Amino acid sequence: MRLLGLQLQDFRNLSQVQLLPSPHATIAVGQNGQGKTNLLEALYFLATLKPLRAGRLSELVKWGASNARVTGRFLLKGAEREISVEVGGGTRQAFVDGKKAASLEDYFGGVSVVAFTPDDLEVIKGGPDARRSFLDRAVFNRFPAFLRESREYARALKNRNRLLREGAAVEPAYLEAYDETLAKAGARLYARRRALMAELAPRAQATFASIGRTVDPAVYGYHPAHLSGDFSQADEAALAGALREALTARLRRDLDRGFTSVGPHADDVTVTLGGRSARAYASQGQQRALVLGWKIAEIENLEGAMGFLPLLLLDDVSSELDPERNAYLMNYLAKSGAQVFLTTTDASLVHAAAAQDTLWLSVSTGQVREGLPDVPA
Amino acid sequence: MTPDPLNRLVAQLAKLPGIGEKTAQRLAFHILRAPGEFAVDLSQAIREVKEKVHLCTRCFSLTDSELCGFCRDSRREERALCVVETFADLMALERTREFKGRYHVLHGVLSPLEGVGPEQLRIKELLERLNDSRVEEIILATNPDVEGEATALYLTRLLKPMGLRLTRIAQGLPMGGDLEFADQATLAKALSARRDL
Repeated sequence: MRLLGLQLQDFRNLSQVQLLPSPHATIAVGQNGQGKTNLLEALYFLATLKPLRAGRLSELVKWGASNARVTGRFLLKGAEREISVEVGGGTRQAFVDGKKAASLEDYFGGVSVVAFTPDDLEVIKGGPDARRSFLDRAVFNRFPAFLRESREYARALKNRNRLLREGAAVEPAYLEAYDETLAKAGARLYARRRALMAELAPRAQATFASIGRTVDPAVYGYHPAHLSGDFSQADEAALAGALREALTARLRRDLDRGFTSVGPHADDVTVTLGGRSARAYASQGQQRALVLGWKIAEIENLEGAMGFLPLLLLDDVSSELDPERNAYLMNYLAKSGAQVFLTTTDASLVHAAAAQDTLWLSVSTGQVREGLPDVPA
Repeated sequence: MTPDPLNRLVAQLAKLPGIGEKTAQRLAFHILRAPGEFAVDLSQAIREVKEKVHLCTRCFSLTDSELCGFCRDSRREERALCVVETFADLMALERTREFKGRYHVLHGVLSPLEGVGPEQLRIKELLERLNDSRVEEIILATNPDVEGEATALYLTRLLKPMGLRLTRIAQGLPMGGDLEFADQATLAKALSARRDL
């Protein structure tokens, strides 16, 4: 997969951008608040239909404009495809070769991205929500059916929560019917996440070993909360059975609180260093290395599964890493052969990732032009 | 100025699903210009459908007499009963000409989010109907989505103690070999439910 051309219109502070990215590194240089990250976000949004930073869809549209549009020309499995997405009035619409894409699954035929942002640290430091969506993003990249499966689960969950709120008036058989529906849909998510972790965790642990500069080994794990039985071996039917049991066992508490307290929506990914929680005990530098290990594992895993590398987006990552880890990352990027988009405030930090064919961009007050920015005297 | 009766007809037609203002106008002109008794026949057909068609007292499909054609037809198998969400689903099954049993129309699915519980569906009537019947197998043909699945599971809970054979329609790929057009979730499910040959 390769991005041949990118066009933006009224996306955040960028009113009009047109560029032909390098097959390897494209590097946007500029001061903070000029629009570098918006450029990356446009690409991320095009590939995932999700904003990179938290917020509502309407925030993606330039102030005063009614629509934002991002268009990319991709080389996908030997064919050129134009994929675009339009945001306006709080909704988004995807187009493939100018035709409306009927479903999200059609649309995600082959474009995948992995983004590195300063916010990634939340994955280690933040709450379970951040880790769960981090995990699910990787699962979705690897298993496209997961998008629909997780929506089914969410719907079953909403229905069950509504029943819980109706409380004692609900007939037991009615609630049980939704318990079972939820358990089946949940077992599918468990199995997907488990399959991804089985592929990803060993790679992430190996990568960390080479960049962590730490004797203690890192362990990335996914173990559903409140679930009895041997999670690593159970088949999907057994997982559904275990989830049903847990739902029944926690029913009283769930009725009191009006929501479902067990299931894939309440799970967490554990990251430990030498057996101790990375969140509590790892240094800032180790935490960054843990995230990096995961991301690089995800890239390699996707390449193994799909036969091509995803697009890599790195938002101002180098300034966050110490020189040695930054050098590792830059060398990794240069060697991987992946198509990479980087932003930085300081071009010297990312030089190791650049080559002859690097496209340098300078970004200033929403304007993107080719070439390195002039060095102020 | 268009005459009021014409405006009224256009306004009524435009309330129909899938009909916009323009199409409504075209239909209205067509009715106005159509020869002979067309307009009278149309209005009578509309009046009659409202006056005469109602729910079958046994299976809750549509009929113009007390019992519907499916319930009255003595050639239909009484031992198999197919439970569907809507009359449209019943018609789809009928088109296959495969099923020779009787039907029961629930008129919806259990959906807490939409505020539809067991009392809003024809479930009590289904149970009553089974009390003195020769039904041996019940086929649960609700849709394979979250609500349809939950409804089938709910019915299973109620019906299992009655000692009947309960079956659920299978799910998987559509016939005709369009593997390439199937969505990823359907394909993934079909793949995981594959069978030995």
